[in-house]
Amino acid sequence: MNQLIESLKKHGAFFAPAVPSSQMTILNMNLQKIHAAMLSIEFIKFYQICGGIKLGNGYIFGPNEFKTGATHPIPSILQINQELTNISTLRGKTVFGRNDLFWFTFDTTGTCAMTDNIGLGILRKYDDIYRAIYECVAGGKI
Amino acid sequence: MQWNQTIAEKRISDMKMPDMPITQIKPENSNVPTDWFPQYKKLCREFMRSLSDCVQELALMNLGRDEFMNLLMGRALPDNLSFRFRIPLIWGGKLEIENMFMCFTFPQSQNLDRFIIEQYGNETIWLPNPEKKIYLPIHSTISGNGGNATADRLSQFAATMNTGYAQS
Repeated sequence: MNQLIESLKKHGAFFAPAVPSSQMTILNMNLQKIHAAMLSIEFIKFYQICGGIKLGNGYIFGPNEFKTGATHPIPSILQINQELTNISTLRGKTVFGRNDLFWFTFDTTGTCAMTDNIGLGILRKYDDIYRAIYECVAGGKI
Repeated sequence: MQWNQTIAEKRISDMKMPDMPITQIKPENSNVPTDWFPQYKKLCREFMRSLSDCVQELALMNLGRDEFMNLLMGRALPDNLSFRFRIPLIWGGKLEIENMFMCFTFPQSQNLDRFIIEQYGNETIWLPNPEKKIYLPIHSTISGNGGNATADRLSQFAATMNTGYAQS
């Protein structure tokens, strides 16, 4: 985890502030309501250290929306998934990141996946969330 | 459900991009070159450098001087901007500047992804295909209460470009 953050810091990534665990309980309830996957323990730990990441056009959505400048705020993970409730392939999954080429999801077992951004076809699966997070934001660095 | 033009236009309008031209394609999977990713990165930089013919759109994007120069020099993409393919590579789109456009990531590019994903599996797909290399939704290009902000920004950028190119 620290290794990931250090490595991304060197590349100039922006990190949103950490989020208390009480907020994650509410977030999980809201994700469940929209039939998305709930946060795994690893994701909860991650958000307790960092509430979202932006590097180039690679984004990890956080429990809260965040801003990196005067531009449009980066939506929260709940806002992103609320807009996707009509997409049946995302039932039981949560979109947690994106770059210009791929979306990143996790499912109810906590397994992360890289998907294409035209039909959400799974291109790669990850047991290690940090590997998935790294590939999501690194793919956004042009 | 297969979308017709009316449904596609309604959907894109619901996503607050009523002025986005759309084009219909029959998606057929095609082979993507194995080295597409390094080629894509190179193309993004070339695309940025090619934007000197879009000064009017750039003037409306409220970029700072450094952001503007870094963009036109192909060095860095300003915050909240995304590159998109008009026709995705997997459906036969080429790795060419003519097959790309740029728009804000949030909310536009995120919504354009949704627009395509919602149609996935249909026999034909409606794709966003803006006229210019930069797409700005109409509500962001309407100026305020009179004034000459756009003209001022254009003069500012013209001066910045002259200084920047003279320095490089």
